[in-house]
Amino acid sequence: MQNETVHFGKRPGNPLNRRVWKDLVSDWKRYLMIFLMLVVTIGFVSGMYVANNSMMTAIAENVGKLHQEDGHFELSKKADSALIAALESGEKADVVSIFRERAYNEAEEKVVEAVNEAVEEKVREQVRNAITENVTAAVDEQLAGYAAVGMEVSDEQRQSATEDALDTAMAENYDKAVEEALKTAYESDDYKTALSDAMKEAKDEIDKEINEKYDDLAERYELNKDFAPVPVKIHELFYKEQTELIPTDASYSGKIRIFNERTEIDMYDILEGRAPENENEIIIDRMHADNVKLKVGDRIKAGNTEFTITGLAAFVDYSTLYEKNTDTMFDALTFDVAMVTPAGFDRLSAPLHAGYAFEYVNKPADVIEEKVLSDNFLKVLITQTAVTENETEIKDYVPAYANHAMTFAVNDMGSDEAMGGVLLYILVAVLAFIFAVTASAKLEKESSVIGTLRASGYTKGELVRYYMSGPLLVVIFASIVGNILGYTVFKNVVTAMYYNSYSLPTYETLWTPEAFIRTTVVPLILMLVINFIVIIRMLRLSPLKFLRHDLKKAKRKKAVRLPKWKFFARFRMRVFLQNIPNYIMVFVGVCFVMLLLSMAVGMPETLKYYQGSMTDMMFAEEQVILLTTDDEDGNTVETSTEGAERFSMESLIRKSDTLDEEITIYGITDGSEYIKLDKSADGVYISDAFANKYKVAKGDTITLSAKYENKEYKWKVFDIYDYSASLAVFMPNDMFNTEFGRKAGAFSGYMSDAHISDIDEKYIAKTITDEDMLKIAAQLDHSMGSYMVYFQYVCVIAAAIILYLLTKIIIEKNERSISMVKILGYSSGEIASLYLVTTALVVFVTEFAAIFIGYEAMNAIWGVLLMKLGGYFAFVIPFSGFVKEFVLVFAAYMIITVIDFIRIRRIPKVLALKNVE
Amino acid sequence: MSEEERKFLEVKDLKKSFGSGDTKQDVLRGLDFTVAKGEFCVLLGPSGSGKSTLLNILGGIDNADAGEIYINGDRLSRMDEKGLTQYRRKHLGYVFQSYNLIPNLNVKENIETGAYLSDKPLDIDELLKILGLYEHRHKLPNQLSGGQQQRVSIGRAIVKNPDILLCDEPTGALDYTTSKEILRLIEEVNAKYGNTIIMVTHNEAIKLMADHVIKLRDGKIRHDDINTTKITADELEW
Repeated sequence: MQNETVHFGKRPGNPLNRRVWKDLVSDWKRYLMIFLMLVVTIGFVSGMYVANNSMMTAIAENVGKLHQEDGHFELSKKADSALIAALESGEKADVVSIFRERAYNEAEEKVVEAVNEAVEEKVREQVRNAITENVTAAVDEQLAGYAAVGMEVSDEQRQSATEDALDTAMAENYDKAVEEALKTAYESDDYKTALSDAMKEAKDEIDKEINEKYDDLAERYELNKDFAPVPVKIHELFYKEQTELIPTDASYSGKIRIFNERTEIDMYDILEGRAPENENEIIIDRMHADNVKLKVGDRIKAGNTEFTITGLAAFVDYSTLYEKNTDTMFDALTFDVAMVTPAGFDRLSAPLHAGYAFEYVNKPADVIEEKVLSDNFLKVLITQTAVTENETEIKDYVPAYANHAMTFAVNDMGSDEAMGGVLLYILVAVLAFIFAVTASAKLEKESSVIGTLRASGYTKGELVRYYMSGPLLVVIFASIVGNILGYTVFKNVVTAMYYNSYSLPTYETLWTPEAFIRTTVVPLILMLVINFIVIIRMLRLSPLKFLRHDLKKAKRKKAVRLPKWKFFARFRMRVFLQNIPNYIMVFVGVCFVMLLLSMAVGMPETLKYYQGSMTDMMFAEEQVILLTTDDEDGNTVETSTEGAERFSMESLIRKSDTLDEEITIYGITDGSEYIKLDKSADGVYISDAFANKYKVAKGDTITLSAKYENKEYKWKVFDIYDYSASLAVFMPNDMFNTEFGRKAGAFSGYMSDAHISDIDEKYIAKTITDEDMLKIAAQLDHSMGSYMVYFQYVCVIAAAIILYLLTKIIIEKNERSISMVKILGYSSGEIASLYLVTTALVVFVTEFAAIFIGYEAMNAIWGVLLMKLGGYFAFVIPFSGFVKEFVLVFAAYMIITVIDFIRIRRIPKVLALKNVE
Repeated sequence: MSEEERKFLEVKDLKKSFGSGDTKQDVLRGLDFTVAKGEFCVLLGPSGSGKSTLLNILGGIDNADAGEIYINGDRLSRMDEKGLTQYRRKHLGYVFQSYNLIPNLNVKENIETGAYLSDKPLDIDELLKILGLYEHRHKLPNQLSGGQQQRVSIGRAIVKNPDILLCDEPTGALDYTTSKEILRLIEEVNAKYGNTIIMVTHNEAIKLMADHVIKLRDGKIRHDDINTTKITADELEW
């Protein structure tokens, strides 16, 4: 019976919305931690995406703008115009016909020569006989006249007269007669018949031989394979290589590859200064200049020739400074690329490298098409150079898609992006679960309020929205701030990282929708989904269950019976059992951090280890590879260096979809001191770097291919040789010579632990020392080393935040019990030992497991990473590295423990007495 | 009073048991009663008599095994979970022994959580004055005494002007004086807003101020009396 004086008001807005803000404020520490972690991760990853996208776009645009080659090759000598024209036509040389033609021509000369010789001999004999006959007859007639008048002529006189007359006649008539007779003979049908018969016989012989060899030729030049002509445009890309010296830095010595002026192809982007204008000026690579601290205006020496640097540039074909395409790692520290004017080029005394760049006339649509074109053009190149008159050899052939100097930076950015993305999602998942655990703890804590609200008629949807709003707002704010930082601060951090490794052109920051989707939309959805699932699962329970604090789906379990431990031990066990879900999160979080730490600690440790043990790893400290094993006098090039051994070396390719990797094949002399092979070996040895990278085991068969020929080598692996410095195959030198069709006793050079100094430099192709191998580690260290230290700090902070958030939940859950035991008279220290020691033990045990898991995971990632790179070195973390990982995370935990201890001390005693349902 | 108003709440043969097999325990063993509109009905009974279970079923937060409940003609057993939520939202107010206030909302905001559920809530300031909480409206629950907190929880339930106010031992955690204050408030609310009130209590004295007293024992109604000599809350003594 409602009273008339009742007044109604307006329906207020949802007070729970206002509560969302209050929740954020009242729990600001937790939300701030999550916010910061998200901001840094989203910021860094979106910075990475933005930087990558902007840079890759700039690089892609430069392909056209700066006329990037479709590939290049180098010949042993300058190509003549006929070869260039033949190559540009894109037609394969008809090797068989040309060889046949050449053999015919060669044979024809020989046949004609032989027939003519025979004819001449016969003619001469005939002429001689005729003259002799005539002279003898004339002398006889004359002497018969003398006899008729009674003059006595002795036999000696007759002989002498005949010989005199013959001499005179021969001198007067022989040559002329021979000439006339030859003329007649050459015109005779007999001669022509004889010639053609001989020719026919010779050609038959040649045909027979070529037919016999046809299979071999067809295989070598892939004559029977499908082929479509590949017309190309060829540009000269001549260069010279010299030692690079810096007059102001006596300790520095590197290698500089100086190109003649580029005007048509493989142009450059000048980041500072200008192009060279006279013979004394040079532009060099910007990245290398940064590394060796060279500036515009500085002077450098290429060999003995001095230049002034007028500009720092990024060459479109050298975004990554790979000296050779088969190098394991680029080298921006001691390898430089430069360009001078034609006059400047002439000043250089070093031998000319006949490099040529080519462009397809009909551009391929994609990489698959490009690969077909490149394979076909290689056939053109091989056949056309094979048929050149002046024995031109191919020294190098690199199509654009396989050119690390052009593709590595882009690929690296791509894989960084992928890796960054994966880390982002793992971290977001970890944070989402922390949110979820937090939300579920909060729901438990507010159980009666939720029960009351549900009983009052609040729908599940309203409560789900409310409980999701807090985390959602944090994620949205973090996304906004993260994106802003991504486009500003972090983008610059990432580009600085790339500019520190690669020779990249100038770029413009681009709006990158993908970055926004990947770093903002996807994490948001991920968070929402995980939170939604957790919250909706709990809110599915009836209001009554909330009112009764009966939130476990399963029937209440009986308390686990514990053994008769001391009271404190049992108490701790109870704390552990009660918080298992949180401890699982601790485990996941610590594993995540350990994975990152494995990278941050392991990477520099691996490089350090590699650098430190490289010298030990090499089987001989020096390998001298000879240009020729015979000196000018035809004697074998020898060395008297103690311990020097002959060996043979050849490079083959291990083909795969991702990478054609160069494998070095060694032929080792019997009883070698450096490489000890079992004489009775049935097969070859491979280095353990090879075995590890490609997972090859004893007894397997390996298949390797010749670089520029279609020839395969299959060998059975007899054993794995303990050598991790390179991917190599070892076999006895005799076997080597047989396999590669060399003469018995042939070899390529000498290996020795002592320095080989007695071989004339003109016979040496190159000397390999440990420094060459160390370049890889030095460059990796330069590119990543310094970041890894920062990364270690980031990991410690991440560990601290994750542990902070999770231990906070554990303590909050137990606030009332803690308050209660305080009332009972326990000291803060005792309480801490009850609640904190349990967590400490969990963290302690978790760390061991996480270190192992993180290491194994990183090992797997490392394997995948190296599949894309040439070469191999194992991922190594020494024991001290594991200790470091352990200590770093435990230190983070100790800091959090102090905070937790303060938290415990601050829990008021009255809490236990207040408003207990 | 019309027949409809007299049978505003009608319970027919209501049964409820917990557990199964040997451990099966019948809590409600077939209850039949009606409550008239605007009536102040007290459910009395010792612990375990089934009074709270009955209240929960009436409030749509627990299900009966058998029997029917009609409220203002609506049949509860026909409603699905969503329907029950809407039913609670539109027609019911709940007050519990524990106040279950939201700790980081102030007094007024806590009451607004109730007001938000109604299209036509009571004037909050007026209600705050009736509750004697107007001066405390900006305080957080932990700044209030138990009695004050229970007033807030009554305010939260009543602000949406529900047809039925369900109170589960609202004075159970309060001292004598405070309990009387709360009872006085409920009486006042009943008089002013005319809501039907069903209160579960084990305090026998309270029956004296009720219009209708239902006594339960062992899941059965032992007495169902209309109190024609009701006294005010002020006059109650125990």
